[in-house]
Amino acid sequence: MKVEYIAPFAEAAVGVFEALIGMTPERGQLKVSPSMNTMQQINVVCGLTGQLEGIVVYGMSMITADKIASKMLGQPVITFDALAASAIAELGNMVSGHSSARLASLGYECDITPPTIIRGLNVSISTTDIPAIQIPLELPDLGVFELSVSLRQRVSLAAA
Amino acid sequence: MAKRILITDDALFMRVTLKNILTQNGYEVVGEAQNGAESVAMYKQLKPDLVTMDITMPEMDGIAALKEIKSIDPEATVVMCTAMGQKNMVVEAIQAGAKDFIVKPFQPDRVVEAVGKLLAA
Ligand SMILES: [Mg+2]
Repeated sequence: MKVEYIAPFAEAAVGVFEALIGMTPERGQLKVSPSMNTMQQINVVCGLTGQLEGIVVYGMSMITADKIASKMLGQPVITFDALAASAIAELGNMVSGHSSARLASLGYECDITPPTIIRGLNVSISTTDIPAIQIPLELPDLGVFELSVSLRQRVSLAAA
Repeated sequence: MAKRILITDDALFMRVTLKNILTQNGYEVVGEAQNGAESVAMYKQLKPDLVTMDITMPEMDGIAALKEIKSIDPEATVVMCTAMGQKNMVVEAIQAGAKDFIVKPFQPDRVVEAVGKLLAA
């Protein structure tokens, strides 16, 4: 897991938030964990395959998810229903899509898998032994949208 | 008569958003497919004037569905509508016969402009 892999995700997330809800998040302190885990209530999980492989998780509190979904839907979210969950999942898909475009321009061609939402505190997603790098993005009045990226170069490529 | 459109996206949020934009602009949304395989089946059945096609979807992705639809009907009008904007993806879709490529998130005007231009004739 190289630190350089996370910058495209942070840049993509900033661009997506600006285009989608007209807000610029502020990047917080980068953190490294030995494996992928999240302390957030709502987590969007996307897989990456291709020249980089692994997972990325977008985590946030339920309150933040409700607030972001309300902005995306243009109406207040009272309960986090299928439509609100789908908006948050699609937000993750958009950030992953824009990240893969940025990774492609750095020479890493990757495809992304459809997003899955995992609810629950202190979720550990240990599909790999790749360390995770996390970066919180602070959205004014909405809360924190936390990026966790756990990727490695495809083994055959790294060896080549 | 209103032009008939088939929406393809695995996200309910995107289907609702696209349907609102299109119906508010005088189009009829005749179907909503949740993956590529559904889109191909609905295309055969509904023969829509235009298809919006997401790429990242379970079952069958949008590039595979685009190719199948174009093999069934070479005249099919398919507009990609995806979060993936890398050059390779755009080139592959256009070469496979996509008529336009909209990157999410989009402004409603971008969709109206693309669809309007393709269905003007
Ligand atoms: Mg999708």
